[in-house]
Amino acid sequence: MEAIKNAFDFSDFPRLDMGVAGAALAFLLVFPALPHSSFAMTTMIQFLMFSLYGMGWNTIGGYAGQVDLGKAQYVGIGAYTTAVMMVRWDVPFWVSMPLGMGLAVGWSFIIGYPLFKLKGHYFAIATIATSLVLKDLFEVWDFVGGAKGLELPLRGNMPDFLYLQFREDYYYFYILLVMFLAGLLFINGFRHSRLGFQLRAIKDNEDVARSLGINVHWSKIKAYAVATAYVAMVGSFHACYNFNIEPEDTMSLDLSVLIALMAMLGGAGSLWGPIIGASILVPMRSYLGSWLGGQAGLAGLDLVIYGGIIMLIAAVQPRGVWGIVQAVRAKRRRT
Amino acid sequence: MPWSFGAERAGDESMEALLLAILKAVVAGLLMGLVFALVALGLTIIFGVMDVVNFAHGEFLMIGMYSTLLTAPLLGVDPVLTLPISGLVGAALGVLCYFGLIRYLLRGPVIAQLFGTFGLMLFLRNLALMIMGSEPMIVHKGILVGKSFVVGPGIVLGATKLAAGALSLLAFWGAWWLIDRTKTGKALTATSLDKEAAMYMGISTERVNALAWALGGASVAVAGGLLVNFWPVDPNVGLLFTMIAFATVALGGFGSIKGALVAGVLIGMIVQAPPVWDAMLRLAGSNAGSGFTIHSFKYTFVYLIYFLIMVFRPQGLFGWKQ
Repeated sequence: MEAIKNAFDFSDFPRLDMGVAGAALAFLLVFPALPHSSFAMTTMIQFLMFSLYGMGWNTIGGYAGQVDLGKAQYVGIGAYTTAVMMVRWDVPFWVSMPLGMGLAVGWSFIIGYPLFKLKGHYFAIATIATSLVLKDLFEVWDFVGGAKGLELPLRGNMPDFLYLQFREDYYYFYILLVMFLAGLLFINGFRHSRLGFQLRAIKDNEDVARSLGINVHWSKIKAYAVATAYVAMVGSFHACYNFNIEPEDTMSLDLSVLIALMAMLGGAGSLWGPIIGASILVPMRSYLGSWLGGQAGLAGLDLVIYGGIIMLIAAVQPRGVWGIVQAVRAKRRRT
Repeated sequence: MPWSFGAERAGDESMEALLLAILKAVVAGLLMGLVFALVALGLTIIFGVMDVVNFAHGEFLMIGMYSTLLTAPLLGVDPVLTLPISGLVGAALGVLCYFGLIRYLLRGPVIAQLFGTFGLMLFLRNLALMIMGSEPMIVHKGILVGKSFVVGPGIVLGATKLAAGALSLLAFWGAWWLIDRTKTGKALTATSLDKEAAMYMGISTERVNALAWALGGASVAVAGGLLVNFWPVDPNVGLLFTMIAFATVALGGFGSIKGALVAGVLIGMIVQAPPVWDAMLRLAGSNAGSGFTIHSFKYTFVYLIYFLIMVFRPQGLFGWKQ
């Protein structure tokens, strides 16, 4: 009961924030009814996916302050569980998704236990290493299709809600929107939970947290598992949405970093941060990419701009957009 | 029985092949490892002095490779003679990055440093993609290219690899001399041991940091200049070397120069070892013909080693920084 009440408790945000959030939600709800291009729809679905990725990353990277650059391996586990089960045994999405999440979380405990003996840079690089090892294994593993990946079988009758196969994108959009809202409420509850407070204590000062009786190692592992469940869920969805997965697009370092980047750009460790980050980066990425990618000699310019923005944020305001908002508010309150 | 006779002979042949594979792996591993050590040297200097992990390290290498590749035909000299130019380009790049970016990142939390250098990596890689295109390129003309020495039956040493190993060792010695024997180098060591104490002694942290980036950039760019003689360069070549450098530095101990040399050679041997294992597999008679080779995992071992060392011996072989 307490947990459910916490999930709906947004009272620590000013009314302005809730107004903006409400307007954004209303826009999301009616978006498919508005006139839009299919490119805009794809971008919107990407936005929801990356918001969820970022929310997951935020538990370990934001609230607990452990920079994790290996989330893509869990995206891959989720995506491959769904794809392999659908290709080989005809298992519906709604069965394989929880199984994929379970597998990913189980793997995250195995990896997390030794991983969280490390801190700071060492931790970050080790997460990259684990992710790359898994990707290398998947690239030669014939059971999951090797480097070519897997193609999901098309089923006859669309729309198919069990196997998540639709001709129109708005079905995907609404299913993802439900996941998004559920994910947001869960994170809001998580924020108020005992674990949430423990993680923030760990982020501020690990030694003090330990002296207060918090089991630092175990709290981090739990937060890591929560983050893993999020990305594995979206990974499963990604497999159904794309109809085709391969190690390069589900497990690459670029994806890991992109996930972390969304959260950091918006503001790591805040509820809205990952959503703000995704709402800026995803449209920028897809529109810049399609606009510049088509022009000869400019391939790569979008990523140059991208890299420039990352450097700028890291140098000027590492707390992201949300950090800027907070700073402006604090200034206004003082005067 | 005639068939058993045949099997025995086949066994003898693969035994010979195994010995040859071991010998080849040791020689090739040593030469490759010396280059890896030089690549890792820059990373370990920078890390030792200011606790910053440079994700763009592999991109510095890539730029070093391109600068040798492009200046050699431009100046009309042999690629080996353009190494100082690569070094200068690397040093300038290091100093530029320090004053343009790293100085600001140092004020922020760890996450800002990680992302800042990651952004630098994306920036440099894709800038190279825009300018050079994605075609892999390699040095085609030079006094070393295409020449090789036959050392023994079946062992052929490429002149480029031999020169790369020897010159890496020379560059390594130069860097060590600079750090261990000159006054500037001692300031560098002092700052990495204790920043505050060094500051009280009148050592300017800012200048030492810039020097560390210059040295780091120069050494990795020279390694790139050596590498491009036998390793094709394209804009995405960096990540693999960044990871190899991380593994080397972790194995040798963060901040340890001697460690980088020993660990570089070890990693070189590990990367070159899989043919030996494949030969062993053939000797044992398993998996023959199934197409599965350990060879395709050769870099996976590097990542695995990084992970295992970090978890079980975070200070590495010779590390003093924790």
